[in-house]
Amino acid sequence: MIEAKGISKCYTIKKRMNFFRSEKQIVCAVKKLDLSINEGEIVGLLGLNGAGKTTTIKMLSTLLNPTEGQITVDGDDAVKDAMKVKKKINMIAGGERMLYWRLTGEENLRYFGKLYQLSGLQLEKRIAYLLDQVGLSDSKDVPVELYSKGMKQRLQIARGLINDPKYLFLDEPTLGLDAPVAKQLRGLVKDLASQENKGILLTSHYLEEVEELCDRVYIIEKGTIILHDTPEKIIASVVKNYHLMIETSSLSVALQNKIKKELVNCTIQFTDLTDSTSIHIDAPFDPTSFFINICMNEAISILKLELKRPRLEDAILTLAKEKSA
Amino acid sequence: MWLSISATFWRNYLVMRRAFPWSFFLGHILSAIYIIIFAYLTYFFVFKGDLSSSFSAYAGTNDYLSYCILGGLLYSFSVSLLMITSRTLITELREGTLESLLLTPSTRKGYFLGYVAQGLIRIMMEFLVIIAIGSLFGLHLQQINWFHVLIVLAILILSTFSMALVLSSFMLFFRDTYITQNTLFVLMGLVCSITFPSDFLPEGVRWISHIMPLTYGVDALRMVWIEGVAINDLLTPLLKMVILGLIYLPIGSYLMKRMEKYVLEKHFG
Repeated sequence: MIEAKGISKCYTIKKRMNFFRSEKQIVCAVKKLDLSINEGEIVGLLGLNGAGKTTTIKMLSTLLNPTEGQITVDGDDAVKDAMKVKKKINMIAGGERMLYWRLTGEENLRYFGKLYQLSGLQLEKRIAYLLDQVGLSDSKDVPVELYSKGMKQRLQIARGLINDPKYLFLDEPTLGLDAPVAKQLRGLVKDLASQENKGILLTSHYLEEVEELCDRVYIIEKGTIILHDTPEKIIASVVKNYHLMIETSSLSVALQNKIKKELVNCTIQFTDLTDSTSIHIDAPFDPTSFFINICMNEAISILKLELKRPRLEDAILTLAKEKSA
Repeated sequence: MWLSISATFWRNYLVMRRAFPWSFFLGHILSAIYIIIFAYLTYFFVFKGDLSSSFSAYAGTNDYLSYCILGGLLYSFSVSLLMITSRTLITELREGTLESLLLTPSTRKGYFLGYVAQGLIRIMMEFLVIIAIGSLFGLHLQQINWFHVLIVLAILILSTFSMALVLSSFMLFFRDTYITQNTLFVLMGLVCSITFPSDFLPEGVRWISHIMPLTYGVDALRMVWIEGVAINDLLTPLLKMVILGLIYLPIGSYLMKRMEKYVLEKHFG
């Protein structure tokens, strides 16, 4: 398990007061953050720009030392036993960095494999397996500079898996990818967790992706965790807005008034159509069962029913609104 | 460490094969050729082949052209080695591969050694081209103890490599290659007995020549090449190079470790 206890990352910056004078200021990108990632689990790390996600990932991946607090990976200290920890982890970032463009895909993997102390048949087998996994076997001898963006990203994934890490950090892994490639990548991430039991930390601006993949989500704001739970529970606790659209056989005015009376705190709009009534409801709870009961009791046919469930995106937007208010 | 050395060696070899750095290769050869031509023209057309007795006393030879050609040869050798070593991490930073490199549990020593070992192929190619051109200007190639030349070069490589680590940390700190390295190279050209003995320099400047391994490397190479001295007589300059290397190595290693963290915090924090 990866465990971060009370980690902070602070920087001393110089703020220029005038041409001759500057003042030192301490700015903390991450403050007293607690986080854990278990094997076989996908954990999301969300926040607005500048929230401290990337700094957190850099600390977890041993690239940055925390100013205070402790990170352990299966009991090994990420600062004191950095070399030991590096063997168990890897990171994949979005974009087209972290690869040598003048080398071929296969040469890149061979280079990184050797830096992870792999060699001989073991390395060659691993390279062949990964190239096959990411669908680059046919392009293994092509220099990376000739790869498309999607191919580079797939090679990055293979690079991130070359040492068969127990824990993987994915920093915006689908950034700028086409929908089919992104979907394929999401499938791969799911398999890595469920079939290969890897612990994965994911940051992404695509919230549907986080909602689809993550077992737990941490939401950070200005370097501090403000929420931590399953995506479903976060949505339920933050977003109080359900939108139901229901079309029934014609409703009498009396029944419409009865519904309005019973559903206090809800916005209801009835539109009488030729043979039916269309109803739009905005409610702080799921009003589906209420309407189904009414229709059953009053012998009204339901012609159409659509419930728009709140998504993680709505939760983040609500939180952002609350914070800026 | 061996895997890191071989991995870096092959990576750079493949990159060099696909995109040979012709500008650096020609630039280093040309800088030596300019030194040789400048010495040739000034010797024959300005000083009319007349050397002062103090030059002979300080340089230990009357063969001014060979003196300058060997100075240019080793200056180019040293500059190439310094450039290859010191630009490594800043190049990784610029190409966006520093993170992926620092994520690995590879040793930095292995990485640098692989880099330098591969770079020596290019440096030796430059070395041979400059010798060939120097021979056209009067550099003799007979009765040279090549084994002694190799010993001088090997020790110069070790001490220059150590010095390059210090230079590299400055480059990372300033995130600059051009001004930092060229300031050092101009200084080396001036104080390291490349075209004239450093004894001609004023006292206040001469001490700089004593902290440059190149000064002793050039002295030692000239003793082998021009005077043909025995290995025992080379011990003093060789020892001085070793001592400088031993001083620069821990300083460079310490600074590099700090600079890696500094760059990561500045760049990725």
